[in-house]
Amino acid sequence: MNENAITIRDVTRSYGKTPVLDRLDLTVKAGSIYGFLGRNGSGKTTTIKLLAGLGRPETGEISVLGRDPWAFTAEDRQGVGYLSEKQNLPPLMKVKSLLDFCSRLYPQWDRELCEGLIARFQVPVNKRVSALSMGNQRLVGVILALAPRPAVVLLDEPAANLDPVARREFLDEILDLIRDGDRTVFFSTHILSDVERVADEVGILAQGKLRVSESLDSLKETVKRVRFFGFPGNAPERPPQAFGWRVRDGEALGTLKLAHPGEPAALAANWKCQYEIIDLSLEDIFVDIARN
Amino acid sequence: MFIALHPSSGVPLYLQLLNQLKERIASGQVKPGEQLPSVRELSADLKINPLTVAKVYQILEREGLVETRRGMGTFVAQKVDTLPVAARRQALDPVVRQLVAEAIHLRLSEAEVVELIARHFQQLNPRNSSNEP
Repeated sequence: MNENAITIRDVTRSYGKTPVLDRLDLTVKAGSIYGFLGRNGSGKTTTIKLLAGLGRPETGEISVLGRDPWAFTAEDRQGVGYLSEKQNLPPLMKVKSLLDFCSRLYPQWDRELCEGLIARFQVPVNKRVSALSMGNQRLVGVILALAPRPAVVLLDEPAANLDPVARREFLDEILDLIRDGDRTVFFSTHILSDVERVADEVGILAQGKLRVSESLDSLKETVKRVRFFGFPGNAPERPPQAFGWRVRDGEALGTLKLAHPGEPAALAANWKCQYEIIDLSLEDIFVDIARN
Repeated sequence: MFIALHPSSGVPLYLQLLNQLKERIASGQVKPGEQLPSVRELSADLKINPLTVAKVYQILEREGLVETRRGMGTFVAQKVDTLPVAARRQALDPVVRQLVAEAIHLRLSEAEVVELIARHFQQLNPRNSSNEP
């Protein structure tokens, strides 16, 4: 059994002269839910397309379930579910016919799961695709990605256009999927509270590189905002482990990646000042990392 | 088991769950020998990643608060005093430090804080709150 479901090594990809991914390294453990974050244009969609085999990196290697996605056979594709950012479903087809059509392309298509998802998401299957709301169209895409029970699911902005209730149902479904066995879910999103609810690993992409890739718990435990105050003289310069550093009114406010919990105390002792540690939400952490 | 978790808080989810389970064990809401829900059940119930629940159970087990009986499940330990005093003190130290810092900010005296702590001991653990070592 391969321990990593997804491996990206030293991958570069550009569009024309615009570099998008710059020697990207990323691994996703089998059985995890990986939340993939980044600002618009940071290269999330490019990365997911490469993982789905819809493009080829200029340098480096990619492996999904031990195979190069560019060389996926039809059989390999059965094991990888993919929801694209801009899905293109046939507008005039009835949802029911579309699902029926797709089910015949996948030997492992799980009819029961498909019915369950339709009921859970309350998708009107007797309507044409074009008559559905954007959110329901998205859910049809999610059903198409999940019903063949793939071992790896790649979802590019699955929750875009979903209302809060549909989003919660979708997230619960993702959790059920993981609970049921050795599946891996890789999804990009801007909705950070979704990541906080379900993901165990988080990656933040900025300037074509992965700035952070670790468990959400350890990220929250090691990235802290620290306020240093009561300096005997001027506030010090930004230390190397700080993502952000602001000095005002003789105080310094930094977002620090802590190598160990005692680091703020050690810095404060060094500067002969006092300090206060502030917990950060994923959104705070993301903004500080993506902005720098 | 009703547990309130706040995914967007700066406190990691596992720590929120850990603290609430510890509180329930400490206050006797879950009794020694009582079975906890399985990782699967609790993660489905709380709608969170099963790895988060598994991690919390591992920590509780390492700290001697629960026991895992193979093939049967996770149970609240009969006696909880497995860690040496020094280790237990150390575990509490960062929380106390934060408490004292807050108290200083709020200009509460040491005596007032001690009184507050005593009241919480009384509420959570009425039988053993009388100045034990």
